[in-house]
Amino acid sequence: MTISRKCVPFTPFERELSKSTLAIVTAGGVHLKDQEPFNIADELGDLTYREILPDVDSSRLMVTHHHYDHTDADQDINVVFPIDVLRDLEAEGFIGGIAKKHIGYMGYTMQLKAMYEGTAREIANDIDKTSRADAVVLTGG
Amino acid sequence: MKGIPTVLITVSPEVSAQMRPPRALYPKGFKVGNSLGRPGMRELQKQVLRDALELLTDDTRPGSIKTIEYPEYGEQYEPPRVKKLSG
Repeated sequence: MTISRKCVPFTPFERELSKSTLAIVTAGGVHLKDQEPFNIADELGDLTYREILPDVDSSRLMVTHHHYDHTDADQDINVVFPIDVLRDLEAEGFIGGIAKKHIGYMGYTMQLKAMYEGTAREIANDIDKTSRADAVVLTGG
Repeated sequence: MKGIPTVLITVSPEVSAQMRPPRALYPKGFKVGNSLGRPGMRELQKQVLRDALELLTDDTRPGSIKTIEYPEYGEQYEPPRVKKLSG
């Protein structure tokens, strides 16, 4: 399959939010403190991603990313990875639930083709097959 | 794979628009690193996330980015611009 235009595909959403399960995918370099940090020493970027489970304690999350100022995320990860915010919206019934898997990756790379054709597809497949998400919230830094 | 509906929260609307995201929210004037607002501003963070999620049920035009102002955020910032890259 060849891709002529690098656009994000449109997938219709035909559910009610209050009955839907949401996942977060962030390019903001978010990962657990005990997961391997992203490799910021490599000028080409890091094509790997980290899985984050829904019951994560947000104080165990951190950012490794050298292309934006993450001082605020260091204080409150929710400014780029709104997992506690999602929990609040679930508690008030605005959404139905929180997906079984969330993803952090470092959205800076000089290897655009590998990111687009490799990492991005792996993340989409992973979310599609294992997270049971009805929709995904994407954030950058 | 049937695909998964997505909604993007971006603080770099001009950069994000190049990818024609199907649904996107730009919280006006939020700086890079503050996609949902500032640390500890949970009510604001909730409102931004609610507004983003509601785009899932709106009739959106791919590539268009909805701008919403949140005065409670405080000081506003200019978003990054698209850089012309060679190659």
